[in-house]
Amino acid sequence: MVEFDATFFAQIINFLILLFILGKFAYKPLMKVLDERRERVANDLETAEKTRVEAEALKAQYSKQLADAREEANAILDKANKAGQKVHDDYMAQAQAEKDQMMTAAKQTIADEKDQALTDVRAQVITLATEIASKVVDQKLNSAADQEMVAKTADSVLNK
Amino acid sequence: MGTAEQASNEIIHYLPMQVDFLGMTVHMQTLYMSWLACIITIVVVWAITSGSKMVPGRAQAALEMFFDALGGLIEKNMGKEGRSKMQAFFFTLFLYLFVANEIGVFLPSIGIHFTSPTNDMNTVFALSILVMVVAYIFGIANKGVGYFGHFVKPYVPFLPLNIVEEIAKPITLALRLFGNILAGEILLIVLYKLCPWVIPDIWVLFSLFVGVLQAFVFTMLSIINIAPSFVNNH
Repeated sequence: MVEFDATFFAQIINFLILLFILGKFAYKPLMKVLDERRERVANDLETAEKTRVEAEALKAQYSKQLADAREEANAILDKANKAGQKVHDDYMAQAQAEKDQMMTAAKQTIADEKDQALTDVRAQVITLATEIASKVVDQKLNSAADQEMVAKTADSVLNK
Repeated sequence: MGTAEQASNEIIHYLPMQVDFLGMTVHMQTLYMSWLACIITIVVVWAITSGSKMVPGRAQAALEMFFDALGGLIEKNMGKEGRSKMQAFFFTLFLYLFVANEIGVFLPSIGIHFTSPTNDMNTVFALSILVMVVAYIFGIANKGVGYFGHFVKPYVPFLPLNIVEEIAKPITLALRLFGNILAGEILLIVLYKLCPWVIPDIWVLFSLFVGVLQAFVFTMLSIINIAPSFVNNH
């Protein structure tokens, strides 16, 4: 126990045999599994990273497509709005023009009617006045000078 | 010899206690216990690792955790190359010492009295000198004669001190383990004689702890002693 003898060498050999047996039959399979697992984890991580990058690229692509689509939709809406506005404006302008035309025509008609009426009234006033005057003075005012005078009188009355 | 051995005679009395080998005595009690420790180590480790799977069970996970932890310590001290070359050595060293330390104190409480192979100077010196030999072999293999340069570091006058240190390393390494284990066993027997109940069991618990601790200390110091063979610490 406390003196040196051949046990010393026996123990060295002992330990080396143990080391050999354990190394051969225990550590090797264990290390193999550990290495395989490490490799697999590394592979999985790599795959995951790759997938993540792909997903991000896809996401970016989708975002871009979405933005494009939105832009396009906006453009279409814009265009439709503008077209609608234009139709509206056209109709408004046309209606305005028609209205103006109708107003002008109506005014013209009114003016014509008024002139016609005035002419009629004037002729009748002249005839009536001449007759009344003839009756009053008991004579006919047939001469041109008479007619002229009456017409002047009638105008001055009508223009009052 | 000591009381510890007398107690152990109870179970191995029918086998020779000593044999002569090339004119030298071989202390068979130590060897029987060593073989027992080796067999237990091999059986347990083999049982756990033979069915190693990608998805580990509890035992495999525990062993792998231990391997990873000890492997990490080795790598921290002696680098990747040192780890790949030496981890089997240190795993074996720790597992063997662990089993060897524990079989001496674990069983008395159930009526069997084994001794630790590490209570024999020959065992501990065999291991500590093996560690130093391994350190020199790898040191010379990795650095050539330059490995001996650490004897004159930091200055040449330190040569005697470094030589003393180099001799003291295996001696302290061995005696620390030897003293702890032998003292634990002797005290255990004394305690059994003084008071057969409770108190020895408490001491057994403490000895179990000491056994783990000393196995780890021996392994850790071996790593530190071999590390300069692989990396430049100076």
